[in-house]
Amino acid sequence: MSNHVILSTHGLRKSYGKRDNRFEALRGINISIKQGETVAIVGKSGSGKSTLMHLLALLDKPTKGIIELDGADTSKLRQGQLNRLRNKKFGFVFQSFFMNANDSVLNNVILPLKIAGLRSHRRRRQAMHALKTVGLESKAKNKANDLSGGQKQRVCIARAIVNEPEIIFADEPTGNLDSVTGGKIEDLLFELNRKQGITLIIVTHDAELAKKCDRQIRLVDGRVADESTNPKRRTPKPTSYFTHDTGDTDADGILNTDKEEA
Amino acid sequence: MKLIDIIKDANRNLLRNKLRSFLTILAIFIGSFSIISTSAIQAGVNDFIDGQVNSYGGEGYLAIASKDSFEAIENLQNASDGPLEYNPDKIQTGATAIEPATIAKLKDIAGIDPDSVQEQKTISVDYITSAQTDKKYILSAEALPPGHIKVDTVAGTTPDLNNRDEYQILLPEDYVSALGYDDAAAIIGQTVTLGVVDQYRHETKKFTPKVVGVIAPGVVSLGYAYTNTFLADDIYAENSKYYPAELKEQVFALTASYDYQNYDIATIKDELEEIGLSAMTVEDIIGQIKSFFDVILGVFKIFGFIALLAAGIGIVNTLFMSVQERTREIGLDKALGMSSRHVFLGFTLEAISLGFWGSLFGIAVSMTIGHLANTAFHAENGLLAAFPTFNLATYTIHDIINVVILIIFIAFIAGTLPARQASRKNPIDALRYE
Ligand SMILES: Nc1ncnc2c1ncn2[C@@H]1O[C@H](COP(=O)(O)OP(=O)(O)OP(=O)(O)O)[C@@H](O)[C@H]1O
Ligand SMILES: [Mg+2]
Repeated sequence: MSNHVILSTHGLRKSYGKRDNRFEALRGINISIKQGETVAIVGKSGSGKSTLMHLLALLDKPTKGIIELDGADTSKLRQGQLNRLRNKKFGFVFQSFFMNANDSVLNNVILPLKIAGLRSHRRRRQAMHALKTVGLESKAKNKANDLSGGQKQRVCIARAIVNEPEIIFADEPTGNLDSVTGGKIEDLLFELNRKQGITLIIVTHDAELAKKCDRQIRLVDGRVADESTNPKRRTPKPTSYFTHDTGDTDADGILNTDKEEA
Repeated sequence: MKLIDIIKDANRNLLRNKLRSFLTILAIFIGSFSIISTSAIQAGVNDFIDGQVNSYGGEGYLAIASKDSFEAIENLQNASDGPLEYNPDKIQTGATAIEPATIAKLKDIAGIDPDSVQEQKTISVDYITSAQTDKKYILSAEALPPGHIKVDTVAGTTPDLNNRDEYQILLPEDYVSALGYDDAAAIIGQTVTLGVVDQYRHETKKFTPKVVGVIAPGVVSLGYAYTNTFLADDIYAENSKYYPAELKEQVFALTASYDYQNYDIATIKDELEEIGLSAMTVEDIIGQIKSFFDVILGVFKIFGFIALLAAGIGIVNTLFMSVQERTREIGLDKALGMSSRHVFLGFTLEAISLGFWGSLFGIAVSMTIGHLANTAFHAENGLLAAFPTFNLATYTIHDIINVVILIIFIAFIAGTLPARQASRKNPIDALRYE
């Protein structure tokens, strides 16, 4: 874990609805997350975990407050920049899979690269590599729908890492799985963090999973109730996991401001 | 995202719902088929008429009658508007005679060749026969109008209008074998016998004109035989032998030619109007045939457009259904960084693709049917066997491209509604959508 703050929020608020129906899902969140850190967001159902994760992932806009990415205010970014940022720097693992069920496993993993506009032989190679990492290269041609729940979640992880992201957002990545399969998924995520220094932000109900993270942020009614660090965990220095040329996906440079500022 | 990937995805999405896409394409097909078919028939008819006009020539030819005569015809045509009020200043028997003074004024109009002005006599022939056969056939004959009229002959020439020594006639091709000759060339120079009767006592007088030419079948000639002026005058004299003296002198219709290269027909028509005459050119006459076809085909074209509009609504409906079904997919695409513009483009491309295949399908089926119909009609005993140059349906590249562009445009417009809805979806709402 480096000391570079990759994501931070200041007075973050989010409310839904209007007037009488107005509901404050987040009521002033101040957190900061370091590069390479693993953070668990925990709390009761309805406490605002998913809402916070969506805001951090720049999928939604806060009602009030600021989200800084690498020290830069994200509200200043144009829609196109936000799209490219999510496409190239973020990886998503959604709670309920979110796959194109009738498409092949490979095409599902390829999706972020297709959106990025990579050439087809290159995105194939990169997607196969990601599938190998989650141990599903033999299922590349299968229809996504025909896989088991655990395999589907691994496909989602492959899709989340295929663009070599800096941050992976995972909403209940093990929520639908039995404890053995869930454990495998957890190992996979932490291995990515250990080997490549990918920052992990995990929303979970699972206390066991939360304990494995560097830090737990507990939400109660849209506020941070407490933060606890796990002193035992140490993240080793990141090493490169992709062996081939990766110049293309980083060409954008939206996030590379940290180098100047550091 | 690359355009080629967006196009591929759009087509793949259409194939995901094969039946639904097929039905939408079918609706577009109906519109495409009716529009391209009517365009093709229109082009075919126009080509044919233009070809006929070219073969007929007739530039500078004028058919002239009194204004009242033309009005009487118009009144007949407008009879559906209810009876017209009686006007004691106008004789309502139909044709009104043209006064000799008017004829003199007509000859003075600039641009009109005074020598060409002549009475157009309606002649009637009772029968035609020849030395080669015992049978008699009926015949419609007309004096060949002066001017630039070309009669399309398969053998021989046109009659010599200035020849007043010899009766000459041009016969339609059907009469060659009926009159006992092997081919058109064999009848040229032979004499045939015309039986002509007067209008009152029906005494028959025989004329023996020389056949100088055989006319190719066509729409403008309509199976008429043409005589030279000399023969027409004498047949008319026989027809009207017992007419009252004043009636014999009366002139109802004239033909003339004008200098079409140096004078404007509109000016000449205005001047004719001033002296109480009306004139029609060959183009006016042909125009009546064309406008008749145009009205019928216009109705079919309107049906085609209505079908296309309905098909457009079909596209909107189909794509709205897709947007609904694919809400989560769109949300995922957008969460993973796809721009709204690309989502919009994807859906409009689906609409365009539907339009493209529908229009192509319609054109292909129409062209196949058109080709079969042309072949069938031109076969022996076919409906159009007598008109080898007439293709019922003529497909021009211009029409084909226009129809494809029109339909793609309608499809695009229809597609923008659902595409807009899709592109505006918020990734979070779309992902929360169950
Ligand atoms: N689009 C929305 N409109 C209105 N209210 C919303 C909307 N999204 C979320 N909420 C409300 O905001 C609160 C927080 O929702 P959120 O999904 O963040 O909860 P959560 O902590 O993720 O819960 P869970 O553990 O059940 O997933 C809830 O009370 C929810 O009803
Ligand atoms: Mg949640």
